[in-house]
Amino acid sequence: MAQGFEGEVTQSAEPGRRRAKSSSAGSAGTVTRPGKRARPVLAWFLIPALALYAFVVLVPSARGAAFAFTDWDGLNPMRHFVGLANFRKMLEDEAARDALRQTLIIAVAITVVQNAVGLLLALGVHSRIKSRNVLRVLLFAPAVMTPVVTAALWKYILAPEGALNGLIAAIGPDSWQQNWLGDPTLALCSVVGIIIWQFAGYSMVIFLAGLQGIPQEVYEAASVDGASDWRRLRHIILPLLAPATTINLMLSIIGGLKLFDQVWVMTGGGPGTATETLSTLIYKNAFQFNEYAYSVALAIVLTVFVAVISGGQYRLLHRQGRAAR
Amino acid sequence: MRPTHRLVAVMTAGALATGACSSGTNASGGSESLRIAAVATDRAGMEAVLKAFQAKNPGEKIITTYSDTEQYQGTLRTQLSSGTAPDVFFTWPGNGNPGAVEVLAPTGYLADLSGRSWTAQIPEGIKPLTQVGGKTYIVPMTFVGIGALYNKKAMDEIGAKPPTTWSELLAFCDAAKSKGKVAFALGNQTDWVTQLADYALIATTVYATDKDFDQRMKSGSATFAGSGWKTAMAKYLEMNKRGCFSKDPLGTSFETSVAQLAKGDAVADIQVTSVLNQAESQAPEGTEFGLFPVPATDNADETRMPGAAGAGFAQNAKAKNPELASKLIDFMATPEAMNLYAGATGTLPSIPNDQFKVDPALQPLVDFQKEGKTVPFMDQLWPNPKVQQAHFTGIQDLFADKADPDTVLQQMDQAYKEK
Repeated sequence: MAQGFEGEVTQSAEPGRRRAKSSSAGSAGTVTRPGKRARPVLAWFLIPALALYAFVVLVPSARGAAFAFTDWDGLNPMRHFVGLANFRKMLEDEAARDALRQTLIIAVAITVVQNAVGLLLALGVHSRIKSRNVLRVLLFAPAVMTPVVTAALWKYILAPEGALNGLIAAIGPDSWQQNWLGDPTLALCSVVGIIIWQFAGYSMVIFLAGLQGIPQEVYEAASVDGASDWRRLRHIILPLLAPATTINLMLSIIGGLKLFDQVWVMTGGGPGTATETLSTLIYKNAFQFNEYAYSVALAIVLTVFVAVISGGQYRLLHRQGRAAR
Repeated sequence: MRPTHRLVAVMTAGALATGACSSGTNASGGSESLRIAAVATDRAGMEAVLKAFQAKNPGEKIITTYSDTEQYQGTLRTQLSSGTAPDVFFTWPGNGNPGAVEVLAPTGYLADLSGRSWTAQIPEGIKPLTQVGGKTYIVPMTFVGIGALYNKKAMDEIGAKPPTTWSELLAFCDAAKSKGKVAFALGNQTDWVTQLADYALIATTVYATDKDFDQRMKSGSATFAGSGWKTAMAKYLEMNKRGCFSKDPLGTSFETSVAQLAKGDAVADIQVTSVLNQAESQAPEGTEFGLFPVPATDNADETRMPGAAGAGFAQNAKAKNPELASKLIDFMATPEAMNLYAGATGTLPSIPNDQFKVDPALQPLVDFQKEGKTVPFMDQLWPNPKVQQAHFTGIQDLFADKADPDTVLQQMDQAYKEK
């Protein structure tokens, strides 16, 4: 999340900085000198924040990561160095492979569908329809709720004799009723569906902010040129929405890869291991199986995985966004 | 708002938020307070005991924290390893789960209670579950069973009686189905519920003819796959096929299954007997409940019932207030405290005494205990928590047609061999 926002700030600030340099060059060197002197001084002001960050995040994370190379069970004061044994175990662990596959399916499905739905909603509420402000609030409302609470509610709604099957029974044949969270082939889809329901409004808000930043003149010029709605969307709106798209895709892929709460509340990773994700597997190994060191190794792999995928995705989208502009 | 005011406001909010998770009684001047942690399911029992303890020890400050089982296990382990664990805390007897005495005691975090006078009164059937290496580490509080809790009104409505043989049990399922009711509510979406029907059947299919099964497992001369476990799993699936259980058990949670029993939509629910209180609290006024052991053969004399110490409390070896912690542990071992705890949680006191008034619904458990027809909970004698997890996952896979009993039992055998 932070990477996406930082990237955008740097990118948009760049032209401004160039302009400042050129203007200062034109008005004699005296203007630049205080800036150069001020930088080392200003850097000292970063030290308290960096020290706090190191104390709260970096040092504990590094110390925690070191457990991955031990056989610690999370309880016993004794532990031994085992090298890469926990990482080798991961390669042979069928549960880890299943969890990785399901995590990828969830992340890709959420990223694609949530953003497509979010974009459509944004385009809808950006138009001049009546009550669009009410619609914006209603569509964004699920994103404000705590994921654990919504997951608990949906768990009841999706129960075999829950509200959804009750509704289906009232309007359609019995065969339409499903065991939404209890059928291994459906459970993963149900979980993904709930997450999209909750966060599509979140993506919508970011797209909406992007849409509102597109100057009206651009639309008017396109109208004068006789561009159809589709061509306006394809050649004007989507390229100019690149920054919003980058942020949305980053947030949804990272959220999808480290998904825990909704899965834990709705299915606990079941039935069997049908909805197990890397995060739920990490939790189970750490706190249920006495395999703390192995869970840390899994967590390191997940961190690297998230960093590589989101970093690669960011670079790709960033390049495409710049090319479009 | 001035910065100092803001700081005070934030600190106050923080203190309130922290306090919301725990309950404290009677602030005392200066002395270290007694910190206690327990699982939320046993809150009523612990509160009843603490009220009596507080009356005997006025002026002592007691802070108690309750949390759900999974959260409790994770938090307790973290607190123990970081030296911040409470003085007295809930611990499961035996082995097989991350918060069990056999998992925690070898690390040196639990105080040795072997020298206490009450240890001599612990019944022989429970004693091994309170000890590690011959030393006692917990005071066992309750004796619980696993059987079919049933709604008496719903039983009358289907015109049936509690079954005593396997054939009668299948007929009971048919009778319930014909009257539009569920015979047994089953919430297999909640992982720990998956094991209960299996345990209820295994008590008979394994232990009626093989009392030493656990010892043979330990010595490596027995396996799950080659034992009565296979018969029990086949019967579990037969019950499912016959329509004995709730519609779509894998999509039904524990809470839903208890509600089905309480309302009478389901006639019975194979559960831990301590769930009786929860069912009673949700049922319409005047609803009466009963309990029957789950038969697995056509010889009623063979029927056994899982029954074991369900809750225990340990003292932190590095308790901040060791004197008061010891005092509480000793108080918990008295008939007064045990009866209060058992009465509030719908269980029996682990050390039987004449002063305890048994809930009539639990009489079959008392009778089976007296006749020596109870067997320990299976997981309490397993070497690690992975066997239980393999069992949970396996049952869910069986119900989803993704595995067969042989595969599940082989996975459990594999997990049993691990450390």
